[in-house]
Amino acid sequence: MKILFTKRQYISIASVAFMLMLWKVLSLYFNSDFILPAPEKTLLTSLKLFTDVGFLATVGVTMARGIIGFILSFVLGLSFGILAGVSPNFNAFLKPILVTIRSTPVVAVILLALIWLSTSSVPVFIALLTMFPFICTNVIDGIKSIDSNLTEMATFYKVNNVRIVKEVYIPAIMPFIISGASSAMGIGWRAIIIGEVLSQPQYGIGTAMQAAQTFLKVDTVIAWTIIAVLISAVFEKLIRWSEKRIVVWKA
Amino acid sequence: MSIKIDNLNKSFEGLTLFNNFSIEFTAGTITCILGPSGCGKTTLLNIIGGLTEPTSGNISGINGQALSYIFQEPRLLAWKTVRQNIEFVLNNAYEEAERKSVAQKFIELVELNGFENYYPALLSGGMRQRVSIARAFAYPSTLILMDEPLKGLDIKLKLNLIRAFARIWQSDKRTVLFVTHDVDEAILLGNDIVVFSQAPIKIVTRKNISEPFAERKMNSTSYNELKVDLLKVLND
Repeated sequence: MKILFTKRQYISIASVAFMLMLWKVLSLYFNSDFILPAPEKTLLTSLKLFTDVGFLATVGVTMARGIIGFILSFVLGLSFGILAGVSPNFNAFLKPILVTIRSTPVVAVILLALIWLSTSSVPVFIALLTMFPFICTNVIDGIKSIDSNLTEMATFYKVNNVRIVKEVYIPAIMPFIISGASSAMGIGWRAIIIGEVLSQPQYGIGTAMQAAQTFLKVDTVIAWTIIAVLISAVFEKLIRWSEKRIVVWKA
Repeated sequence: MSIKIDNLNKSFEGLTLFNNFSIEFTAGTITCILGPSGCGKTTLLNIIGGLTEPTSGNISGINGQALSYIFQEPRLLAWKTVRQNIEFVLNNAYEEAERKSVAQKFIELVELNGFENYYPALLSGGMRQRVSIARAFAYPSTLILMDEPLKGLDIKLKLNLIRAFARIWQSDKRTVLFVTHDVDEAILLGNDIVVFSQAPIKIVTRKNISEPFAERKMNSTSYNELKVDLLKVLND
């Protein structure tokens, strides 16, 4: 089998190679595993992590937190967004709340959540608070962008409201929902891991990172980071893939 | 049953569009409404269609009846195919199986067979407008309102759409109110041509054309005489 790359893909591969090289050069310069271990050593550590007993539990629990946080944010963001999109009054009510949530530093929320909630629900709560505003704002923008000519047409032809929401509103805002979901996911994973680092639930990538850091196992910290990046990338791909499946009408 | 409008009053942003205006439209014919732009032709359609409330007045002949509207823009749902766009408005009227065959029939009448499963983004402007014509006719209405659906299209496309429209109309001869400011469109499609004045609207003249569509030739003597006539009243 022959694998062909486009010119752009070659440039992207070169960019990854550049980052690895820079890493290697820096590790040679510091020459200490406690500061920056070599990339190949870190890679070995990552591979070894896969075989660890607790690996699946650690990754699985973090992913479950992300998925639960995402689903909660998605459902809430979609329903609040639709309500705010159709009712200017509700939008006026919701706007200051969204602004407040978005401009509050994540760490502040985590510190408070640590006091209020159990350690394993803190990361989910943080995920919800970081992701919900993204999805909600995008849904509101999406509804504002709906061509009123289309809803007028549908009403004129006596199409009922339930079908108008299902067949006009939702498809029209689909591209907005997907781009909101994508930014929410991107920021959500980071928030979950920060939440885990600080709240120290029994399992979680953040917990494992914190433990490794305590023992100055820099290679393990970086290995977990790489795994976190991979998880985030897989979910991003999943969203893009579903976008192609759902938004088929774009020429 | 003909449509009767009595003593219609409507102002819009301080401008009186209708002042005790009355008119009657014959059922089963295509009435073309010509008039200077901004005179309130579209407002009249929207009042009849229930999209705009009149200040006062009485409309009889459309109570509770289903209406279709061919808008200036095709107003198709981008995420639905040609067939789905037509079926979208048929849900209340037909069972699923029937919906399919009704949609198919009108797709064929506007000569879009082969494009049933295309999304609007892949169609040309003229094809999209044909879908909107098919949608209006597929809907079981007794009256079709048209608001300059041919505006901005080139002459070849216009003639093409007029032919498509005439063919589909012949199949069940519904009442049509066709608002336009283009004299050619009116002569090619109208059985009855009404010319409106500037606001407040008065009927300047009203002409009947009995010639069948197929025999109306652009630039024939009778065509040109009527055109000169209409242009003269429009410009007065």
